[in-house]
Amino acid sequence: MSTDWDVAVVGAGTAGLVAAQVAAERGLRVVAYERLSPGGQLVNLTTLHDHPGGTGPELMSALTAAAEEAGVRIAYAEVTRVHPGGPARLETGDGEVTAGAVVVAAGLSAGRLGLPGEEALVGRGISTCAGCDGPLFRGRAVAVVGDDEWTAEEALELAGFAAAVTVLVPGEPRWSAARAARLAADGRVDVVTGAAVTALRGEGVLSGVVVRTADGERELAVAGVFPFVDRRGPEGLVAGLAADAEGRLVPGDGVLVAGDARAGAEQSLAAAEADGRAAGEAAVAALAATAGSLRIVDPTHGVLPEGDAGPVEATDSTATWADVALFTNSKPNATELLRGLGERLQAHWELPELGFAAKESASVAADPDQIDWLSQRFKMVLVAVGD
Amino acid sequence: MELERRGVVAPLVVTETFLPLVQAQAQARRVQPRLLVVPHPVGGLTGTELAGRIEGAAAELLRMADEARGQS
Ligand SMILES: Cc1cc2nc3c(=O)[nH]c(=O)nc-3n(C[C@H](O)[C@H](O)[C@H](O)COP(=O)(O)OP(=O)(O)OC[C@H]3O[C@@H](n4cnc5c(N)ncnc54)[C@H](O)[C@@H]3O)c2cc1C
Repeated sequence: MSTDWDVAVVGAGTAGLVAAQVAAERGLRVVAYERLSPGGQLVNLTTLHDHPGGTGPELMSALTAAAEEAGVRIAYAEVTRVHPGGPARLETGDGEVTAGAVVVAAGLSAGRLGLPGEEALVGRGISTCAGCDGPLFRGRAVAVVGDDEWTAEEALELAGFAAAVTVLVPGEPRWSAARAARLAADGRVDVVTGAAVTALRGEGVLSGVVVRTADGERELAVAGVFPFVDRRGPEGLVAGLAADAEGRLVPGDGVLVAGDARAGAEQSLAAAEADGRAAGEAAVAALAATAGSLRIVDPTHGVLPEGDAGPVEATDSTATWADVALFTNSKPNATELLRGLGERLQAHWELPELGFAAKESASVAADPDQIDWLSQRFKMVLVAVGD
Repeated sequence: MELERRGVVAPLVVTETFLPLVQAQAQARRVQPRLLVVPHPVGGLTGTELAGRIEGAAAELLRMADEARGQS
């Protein structure tokens, strides 16, 4: 069977990176597709609980480096559809590829309340990252919606910044007694069970939510809401593969599923690592079974793929030093900050004007057409990446 | 980071909190970005506070820009 790759991994979060590393260490040709940033959920985690790995970015660096050292090729593209088979076919943002084995490690979507007007308020009061956005709510009231261990940890982290944290639990909490005790001991945290958020308040920026409990409906004035409910698996990504009620996939048809995306997964880093390892080994075993026992180890194993090692000069750019642009991620104040800095440069270089482009949301990857346009049209681009 | 890979001078404006993350992403993509670091946070600041962030980072931006232009 001739394929582009021995193993294709969808998603380079914890589970995907470990699965890819395990398979590459056995000499297989492995690609890991990532639509956003390697590390997945780790990107959002300042402190890791129930795990010895330091901070999220540190663990992400270590896992990415280990995978690349083993020879994994990380491809920055979204996989839009997987067709199981021998070989399996993957439709990606970079075109179609074939692989002998597929590991889906696409994780879960961000939490959502499912309310009208919600998407417009993401980044304007609605967030799913306490570590990233907590400081924005210093001295203000926030709500956290969810019932699991990580909801509790996010609420405790937010209590370090916010004046008051109301934890709205849809039913009863599922967190451990130890976390319940820590929440109870924190004077800024109030846990409300049997609570449903029924509406969002605010024009352009969130100013409150409507909460329904057994006692009726009430307004809760909050500057921020952190929803950790309704996180969905990658249902529909793999043709013909079954999913559970939360959209998490049931492995089958030769497709392996690892980490949070798998039906029944525990949803922790340790579980994602173990799952990734098991999926990597299962991919190796499946390929060995189809190819016979002898494998020729890729002689470039561990060598950085050519073309990825350094800058590639754009060939069709006609830009000069008079062509300078700003590229904002549209987070609050990011555009204003860029404009202020851009004005300084404009005055310093006596530029007639500045180009401008905006990403719709900080939490999605830049549109490839936008990157093409900026790189062809401008010599210098000031980019807002993180706040 | 993709812009630098394509030969565009692309300083990334990032807050201190996000610096480790951006550095880790750069390492994964094998690029060495030009970084303009400002104190966290930026969202939620008043106009005066924001002007302070701009003031604090402007000199470094101009130095970075002049250096890139001088090398081309
Ligand atoms: C708020 C919060 C706090 C947490 N804190 C902890 C903690 O302290 N300790 C702990 O042990 N666990 C914690 N967890 C759980 C832990 O983060 C997850 O269990 C773990 O990160 C899951 O890893 P994963 O690889 O399965 O998925 P993810 O980390 O979600 O990675 C999936 C990756 O796949 C990519 N992807 C998705 N679809 C596609 C596609 N179609 N094409 C290409 N790429 C795609 C995504 O961009 C992402 O990078 C926390 C979870 C949350 C939500």
